[in-house]
Amino acid sequence: LATDDLTLVKRVRNGDQRAFKLLVERYQRKIYAVALGMLRDKEEAMDVSQEAFVKVYRYLDHFKGDSSFYTWLYRITVNICIDAIRRRGGGRGETVEFDETMPMDVAEANIGALGSRLGTNPQKAALRKELAGKIQEALGEVPEKHRAILLLREIEGMSYEDLSRTLKIPKGTVMSRLFHARTKVQKILSEYLELDETKSGVGNE
Amino acid sequence: VTAMAGNAACKTFIPMLSPFIDGELSTKDRTIVERHLAACRDCTGRAADLRAEAGLVRVGLDMAADEVDFTGFSQKVLAQLTPYKPPLLERLRVSLSEIFLYRRGTMVYAMVATTLVLAVGVPLLSRLMAVGEHPAGLGHRPDLVSVDVGPDQNEVIFGTDEHGNVVVLMGEARERELQRRRKDAGVYREEDEEENVRPASPVNPERPPGVEL
Repeated sequence: LATDDLTLVKRVRNGDQRAFKLLVERYQRKIYAVALGMLRDKEEAMDVSQEAFVKVYRYLDHFKGDSSFYTWLYRITVNICIDAIRRRGGGRGETVEFDETMPMDVAEANIGALGSRLGTNPQKAALRKELAGKIQEALGEVPEKHRAILLLREIEGMSYEDLSRTLKIPKGTVMSRLFHARTKVQKILSEYLELDETKSGVGNE
Repeated sequence: VTAMAGNAACKTFIPMLSPFIDGELSTKDRTIVERHLAACRDCTGRAADLRAEAGLVRVGLDMAADEVDFTGFSQKVLAQLTPYKPPLLERLRVSLSEIFLYRRGTMVYAMVATTLVLAVGVPLLSRLMAVGEHPAGLGHRPDLVSVDVGPDQNEVIFGTDEHGNVVVLMGEARERELQRRRKDAGVYREEDEEENVRPASPVNPERPPGVEL
């Protein structure tokens, strides 16, 4: 049975670096996936992932253990990503923040497009590489704070409670941002599939 | 009756579909949404789209992470760290627990080896030493006590056996002890002699235990 995070954290604090190696290996893929989703640049995502773990180690004494280790780790990762995006200064065409009260942008024309083409539980085998690339592109259209929520929810499967704690925002904001982010990504992917379908006739292989 | 797209009721339900697919609605709200979905084809489609989108993001980024070789990633991270230095006592405790955690195999071998050394080596060694040192050949280090019984009579040498019982050195053993003493007399000074062979003295408070005269 795998040792739980808090036990490993305790060992790290007592000078056991191998315990930290275990924590890194436990989360490296997911941290990288979140960083990649946020930054859409493989190298930058790798650098940020390393930076996140180094920072976590350095500030381990500040970790009080009142939240789970992974929510803390993700918070640090997301903050580094947001800083990195801001350092770019919008050079890559970062979108402006959504207004929380903006009208819903529901893709009325394509209702059921994604679900009917890909099923409700798409598998890796059924996903073409171009579509995987398109997902990153679609994420780029979502404001960074909304993107962070979407990624933590989809990649880590974080509960709204954990999202609220990780990003220090009310649960209602979590719900609203997640809804907006999903609607946006869904619209882009549906349009892509529509276009793709007229080209090749199928949305998946 | 199937609700059409743009149904006024849908506007209320659409924002609830996201927390609905995440299982984050209260039981009461979930029931209401389920009831609506049973009657609304569009919202059923919307919910399916949300599930597909959630799956796509997860699987898409998972695929991207699959392309990355994480071999050496943790080592690179560790190379940038300055290890924590807890107090000495804590470090000792940690290194001991680390042995149990990460080197259980080595630990078991070490324990087996130590047990073997203790069980076989120590008795063997003491037996060898006993044979080499004991002049009387008693198989243990004897506490020798001499009693001078008079000028015309021979000195009686008492000793103890391995059970602490008093024995009188006789015959060959006695001769060997006397010989050894004669030999030592030329080598040791008087006080050394006293330490090696305690003279019989009724007031000697340092009489070794087990010698009953």
